[in-house]
Amino acid sequence: MADEHQISRRAVLAAAPAAALLAIPRESAAAEEKAKPGRKRIAALATEFRKLSHAEVILDRILEGFGWEGRHYRPALDLVSLYMDQFPEGDLSRERARRFKDLKIYPTIGEALSCGGSDLAVDGVIIIGEHGNYPRNAKGQWLYPRYEFFQQTIAAFKKHGRVVPVFNDKHLSWNWSWAREMVDTAAAMKIPFMAGSSVPITWRIPSVDMPHGAQVEEVLTIGLGNVDSYDFHALEAVQALVERRRGGERGVARLQALSGEQVWKALDAGSWSAGGWDPALFSACLCRSHQLVPAREGFNHVYPSRADLARMVKEPVAYRYEYRDGLRATMLLLNGLVGDITVAARLKGQAEPLSTLMFLGPTADTQPHNFDPLVWHIEQFVQSGKSPYPVERTLLTTGLVAAGVDSIARGGEMLETPHLSIEYQVGPASTFRRAEHG
Amino acid sequence: MAEPSTAKRKRLAIVATVWKHLSHAQHMGDRFLVGYPRDGAWHRPAIDVVSLYVDQRPEGDQSDERAREFGFKVYPTIAEALRAGGGKLAVDGVLVIGEHGDYPTNAKGQIQYPRYEFFEQIVRVFEEDGRAVPVFNDKHLSYSFDKASRMVAASKRLKFPLLAGSSLPVTWRLPSVEMPYGAAVDEALMVGVGSSDAMDFHALEAMQSMLERRRNGETGVKAVQLIQGPAVWQAGKDGRWSRELLEAALSRSQSRSGKGLEDGRTQDLTHSGELEELVREPAAYLIEYRDGLRATLLMLNGAVGDYTFACRLKDGARVLSTQFLLPITPNVVYSACLMSKAEQMFETGVAPYPAERTQLVCGILDFCLESKVRGNRRLDTPELAVKYRAPEQSLFCGAGGV
Repeated sequence: MADEHQISRRAVLAAAPAAALLAIPRESAAAEEKAKPGRKRIAALATEFRKLSHAEVILDRILEGFGWEGRHYRPALDLVSLYMDQFPEGDLSRERARRFKDLKIYPTIGEALSCGGSDLAVDGVIIIGEHGNYPRNAKGQWLYPRYEFFQQTIAAFKKHGRVVPVFNDKHLSWNWSWAREMVDTAAAMKIPFMAGSSVPITWRIPSVDMPHGAQVEEVLTIGLGNVDSYDFHALEAVQALVERRRGGERGVARLQALSGEQVWKALDAGSWSAGGWDPALFSACLCRSHQLVPAREGFNHVYPSRADLARMVKEPVAYRYEYRDGLRATMLLLNGLVGDITVAARLKGQAEPLSTLMFLGPTADTQPHNFDPLVWHIEQFVQSGKSPYPVERTLLTTGLVAAGVDSIARGGEMLETPHLSIEYQVGPASTFRRAEHG
Repeated sequence: MAEPSTAKRKRLAIVATVWKHLSHAQHMGDRFLVGYPRDGAWHRPAIDVVSLYVDQRPEGDQSDERAREFGFKVYPTIAEALRAGGGKLAVDGVLVIGEHGDYPTNAKGQIQYPRYEFFEQIVRVFEEDGRAVPVFNDKHLSYSFDKASRMVAASKRLKFPLLAGSSLPVTWRLPSVEMPYGAAVDEALMVGVGSSDAMDFHALEAMQSMLERRRNGETGVKAVQLIQGPAVWQAGKDGRWSRELLEAALSRSQSRSGKGLEDGRTQDLTHSGELEELVREPAAYLIEYRDGLRATLLMLNGAVGDYTFACRLKDGARVLSTQFLLPITPNVVYSACLMSKAEQMFETGVAPYPAERTQLVCGILDFCLESKVRGNRRLDTPELAVKYRAPEQSLFCGAGGV
C-alpha cells in the first residue's frame, strides 16, 4: 500500500495541470497522457449504465475527460474493468466496452477486480450503486446493493492480500449498521475510503465557503426530490459547510422528521425554539434559488406567500436535527416550489445569513457539471490514497437519512441518535469547484 | 407593494415595445413591482412605477392588468407617460425596454426596434420641460451605430445618466472571475449561440465587459469582418482565431450536443472534429481593436447553448476562461442582476458603467452585419474610435462572493 500512495506522486500531479496548459499540442495530448507513467487502473462496480445514470456521468468522465481549469482534461485513470449488476434497455456499458479497447466487462465483482487473472489487478475501485431496478422497503428506501458490492470488494482484497482505494458514490448504504460496518472495515484494513455526493463540491452561486472555525448557530437547506435520495444530497450540502465550524464535527444528538401539515406548523412556529426554524434562513434559501416556481400565473419570479407554499407544495418534508454541540439544522424538501438545492446559515454576530446555491446545471439537456469535480477528486484520491474529505461526513449523512426515514415511519417522532456521535475534523482548504480550483 | 409610499420614493416611467409574459418588459419591469432576489434576500425597490407606455398590444398583453394591480396608468404616448398625465416631467427615471414585438427587419437582418425613436421622444420631453432624469435602455441602444451615438451624445448634452446594454456583463459567472484591471490582453475569444442581431449582441457585450478593463482602457475598434461557413474553420487554421482559446471557452460550456445529447458522453469538441460536424453554419466576428488587440466571437449554433469566454493574458501567457451564466426560464435571474444596476442608477443618479460600452458594441455589431452583406469583407471602422474607461470595481453578480 504505502508505495502506491507516495506524497511525491501527489505533488507531481498537482503541478501537472499548469505546466500542461500550454506545453502540449492538444492534438497529441490524449496519446501522450496514455503513455505517461503513473496512470492508475480502475475497476467500476455499478448497478446500471444508462444515459444520465450515475455510472454514466461518472465513468464517461474518466473515459472521455471533461472541462477543467480551462481545458478538456483527461484524468490519469484507465477504466479497465466493469461489473454491471443490471443490463437494462438503454444500457451503454457494452457500447463503451466496444469503443474503449482497455475496458472489459466481467460477470462477477471478483473477476472485475482481478481483471480475469489471479491477482488484484486494479489500483482503485469505484462503487456506483445508484439507479437500476431494485426493491424498495416499507420506509421508501431503495435497496441499492452498495454494501454488497463493498463486501465482495473486501473479500477480493482479503483473497489477494492487498487493498486499494475505494470510492463509494452517494450514501454508504440504506442500512445504518451496514454503513457503520463499511467505515469500520475500511479503517481496520487501512483501505483509503472516499464517499458521498457531488453536491458539496460543485459550483456555488455565490462562490462562498463557510469560514473555517466559524461559530454557526443554525443552518437550513431547501431541496427537492424524495427521502432516501435527494435528502442525502441536501444533508451533505449542509454537512460540508457546517463541518468547518469551530470545534469541528462532534456528531448529531437527535433528529425529528416532519411531513405534510407538521411542516407548515413548524414553519408557522417562526423559530427553532418554538419548533420551527429561523425564517430569515428560509427566505435566504428561496432567494438563492434559480428555480423558484412562480407562485402566480403571468409572473416569472415572485416571492411566495404562506398560502402559496401550502398550495404549491403537496408533500413537504422537514428533518429538524440538533448537533451535539448545540448547532440546529433543518433540511426541507419542497417539491413544487424549487428545482435546486440552496443552503443558508446563521453565524454568530453576523446580521445577514451566509447563503448559497449548490449549482447542479440547469436542465436535463445540459452536462451535469457537478460530476467534473467529483471525478477530479476521485483521480486525486486514487493517486494519493487520501480522501479529499473524511468519509465520516458521509457516514454521518447516511445516518441522518436512515434516522429521517425512521422518524417519518414513526409519525414524526423525535429520535435520539447516540450512534451519530461521529467526530471528525476538516482543514481550512476548500474542496468545492471555484475559480482557483477547476 | 408592502412598503408605504414616502416622499423619498422615486417615481419611474416604463417605456416598452410590448409587455407580455416572459418578455423583457415583463421580467425586468416586474422587478420594480414585486421585487427581486438580491444578495440572498428579497429586495423591494423603494421605487414606484407610476406610468407605462407600450408601443404594441399583442395577444397576451399584460399592461392593463399590471396597471390595475399596481396602481399606475398606461398612457397613449411616451410624453404623457413621462409627465404622468400632467403638464411637466413627473418621474425620476425612465426604463426603456425595446425588445420583442412586431417590427420590420432590414437588409442586414437587424430587427428595427424603435429604441432610438423612444429615446428621441424622451429627450424631447426633457428639453421641453427643462429637466432630465436617468434613463435605462435595455440591450443595444439602437441597431444603428449612428443612432446609438446620437443617444449617447444627447445624454452628455443634457447631462443625464444613461445606462444600457445586456444582462450578460452583470450576470453570474462560472467560475466567478474578472479580468484583472489593467491586464495586458493578448487575444480573446467568445463563444455564443442564437440568432443574429439578438444573441450576438449579448455575446459581444459580454466580451467587451471583460476587454474594456485592459491596459490603457478602451480606445475603440479599427476594423471588423464577419465570416461564415467553412471560412470560419479555415480562419482558425490560419491563426486568425485561437483554437487553444476555443478549447478553454468550451471547457466552460455545459452544453450537450451530438453524441453527448444522444447518450450522455462528455466530448472534447475542439479536437475531435465533432465541432465541424455539429455546426453547419458557423460565423466568426473578427474584431481588430485600435490598440492591436484581436478578439473573435464565434457563433456556434448546433454545438452549444451557452455563452463562454476565454482570453490569453500576456503576463505568463495565462489563459482566463469563464461562462456567462444565463439562469433558466422562468426566473431568468440574470435580469435581476441587470435591474439592480438600473435601480442603483435611479437611486444614485450615477450610471454604474459607461454607456459607451454599449455604444461601441452597437457599432461592432452594426459594422459586422455590414461586412456580412458586403460579401464578408473586412471593413475599416474609423467611426468606432470610441474611447472610455471602465470602472475598476467588478459589478457582476457574485463579484466579491455576494
